[in-house]
Amino acid sequence: MSVSCNISHENNQVVISINERFDFSLHQQFRDSYSQCLDQQLNYVLDLSETDYMDSSALGMILLLKDHVDLHASQLVIRKPSDTVNKILEIAQFHRLMTIEH
Amino acid sequence: MTHINPQTKLALVVDDSKTQCMMLSALLKEEGYRVVIANNGATGVEKYVEHQPDLVLMDINMPVMDGYEATRRIKKVSGKSLAPLIFITSMDSEEAYIESVEAGGDGILVRPFSPRVFKATIKSIERISDLYLQVRNLQQEQQQDAELAEKMMSEVIESRNFALSKTGVIKQAATMFSGDMQLTALCPNGDLHVLLGDFTGHGLRASIGAIPVTETFRAMTKKGFSLIDIIAQINQQLFDLLPRDLFFAACFANISEHDNSVSVFNAGLPEGYLFSSEGEIKQRFSSIHPPLGILVKLVASAKPELNQLHSTDRFVLITDGIIEARNEQGQEYGKSRFEQAATQGILVSDIATNVLSNLNDFCQGMPQEDDISLIDVPCAAWQGEELANQANQPHIPETFIVEDSFYDTSPSWSWRLELKGGLLAGINPIPIIMNQVNDIEGAGEHWQSLYTILTELFVNALDHGILGLDSSLKKSAEGFEQYFKERAIRLENLTDGFIIIELCYFPFEHGGKMHISFKDSGTGFDVFNVLKGNSCAQSEGLILSGRGIELVNQLCDTLDYQDNGTLVSANYVWHNLKH
Repeated sequence: MSVSCNISHENNQVVISINERFDFSLHQQFRDSYSQCLDQQLNYVLDLSETDYMDSSALGMILLLKDHVDLHASQLVIRKPSDTVNKILEIAQFHRLMTIEH
Repeated sequence: MTHINPQTKLALVVDDSKTQCMMLSALLKEEGYRVVIANNGATGVEKYVEHQPDLVLMDINMPVMDGYEATRRIKKVSGKSLAPLIFITSMDSEEAYIESVEAGGDGILVRPFSPRVFKATIKSIERISDLYLQVRNLQQEQQQDAELAEKMMSEVIESRNFALSKTGVIKQAATMFSGDMQLTALCPNGDLHVLLGDFTGHGLRASIGAIPVTETFRAMTKKGFSLIDIIAQINQQLFDLLPRDLFFAACFANISEHDNSVSVFNAGLPEGYLFSSEGEIKQRFSSIHPPLGILVKLVASAKPELNQLHSTDRFVLITDGIIEARNEQGQEYGKSRFEQAATQGILVSDIATNVLSNLNDFCQGMPQEDDISLIDVPCAAWQGEELANQANQPHIPETFIVEDSFYDTSPSWSWRLELKGGLLAGINPIPIIMNQVNDIEGAGEHWQSLYTILTELFVNALDHGILGLDSSLKKSAEGFEQYFKERAIRLENLTDGFIIIELCYFPFEHGGKMHISFKDSGTGFDVFNVLKGNSCAQSEGLILSGRGIELVNQLCDTLDYQDNGTLVSANYVWHNLKH
């Protein structure tokens, strides 16, 4: 279970990937992964292709990330959610709030 | 002679050497302890149980039972209290140190030591012991507070639900507080409002929002607000109230016994179900909106989903705790197991019990990770026999009472509202009117009928007068759906037209009369033939439409159409029950 974060300065991209379970135990780690990115106009990618479980507190954490992204005039894309994770995003109708790339 | 003060602390010294015992006793007394002595491990355990001392000093090598074993036993019987214990030994080896800690010792003193070192050690143990006590007291206080809050919460929330005995409920919290809530409330027109909701997470943190949601849901339902108005208000409240990462996944429904319809708004819960009495799934209601409290306003395109139902159908909602419950092998309970258990449950007339026992069999006692909730609501006959249709059966006198005519000259107040164009689509005037009536005349059972009359007349004026919809469409199940689709489209494009609502109130000595009129800008209809057609079809029990006006007719003293059907006047008379 881990959060990894790659910041590429070339194309202004911040990629955050979550392995295995995305739940409340990652709260601090997840927040730390982006809170130091203070530049404007970045492209944030939340890669959920390796995530096989997500609970409702993870949805809350995504909303916090979305706030951070909006505050810094940046973009957020959720990339390749696995089937299980996508089901949860769908029930929460998150495609109405942000871009989800399949 | 020493005066024994029960307040002074008590120490137990376990040592087979009498000299050691005397020496330690003397040092302890200087620190204000009373002392009890045991000469081997076994009597040490006995004396511990008998005296419950505040501190234990333990030798290691002793006859009968050594210090390690005695310590293990003491720690076992001491349960939740700390029972601070220090080993006193001359074995200055790593093994002795490690084993004494593993046996449960809280410290070790190696001989020879000076009295100053002894006293310092006692002090440090006392400090730990005080902290431990503080934590325990705090824990107890917290537990008591939580129990009290939990009791109040469930009293405020679920126990005031409507038709409690008719609904099946599972509510199993993962911790003491549940972040899930189930609400039912009766609308003034006899419809039932249902809510199953799930706050993010569980425990106290998740249940705080339950109180404002409950209050808003109840108060607005009682005043006659529509489901979508209530949802919008709760969303707004939670948006203001909750931190960003907390939200409320909830499904709302309005079940109408009178229309045989259910309208459902699912915001972030798993699919809701409409089951037939044979246990067949007639309809699933999937989520159409993000959970509440995330967006400042509801997504405009998300509308409640309207469905026809049969009076013997069951409407069932669940939270994700059921679907995501896992067994020891890590398998999910899942949707299909739930659906099977629910279907079986319908056949034995108890969905909740059947689902819960099936779920428990599946989970094999695995600890529950999330709150588990279900609500199962019948689609008709919520009120007991004696209360049935109370709202629809006012106290209409057989004949007009003569003395009433003296009061029936001029109204004590009148009230008028004209709604034009687009406002007709967005404003529901009925709660506004009912508020006026309640403010001026006070609350009363008899206003329930007035509410029904106003609602039916307004809907007729809007649907048929302004929007020009043909209610015969509603005769078939497909037409029923088409009718409401068409209605939504026409409402959206509404730019002109008006409805004028007028109320005049005439108080009687034991009751009163409300004169109601609705005038609309529509083209009217053939009053005679429509009403005649209705009564015929109604007596054969065939049609889905026209019930509204029949009901109004029954409730009112008089009901007249004028101006080619564009003006309807009704008189609603009520009397206080004579005691």
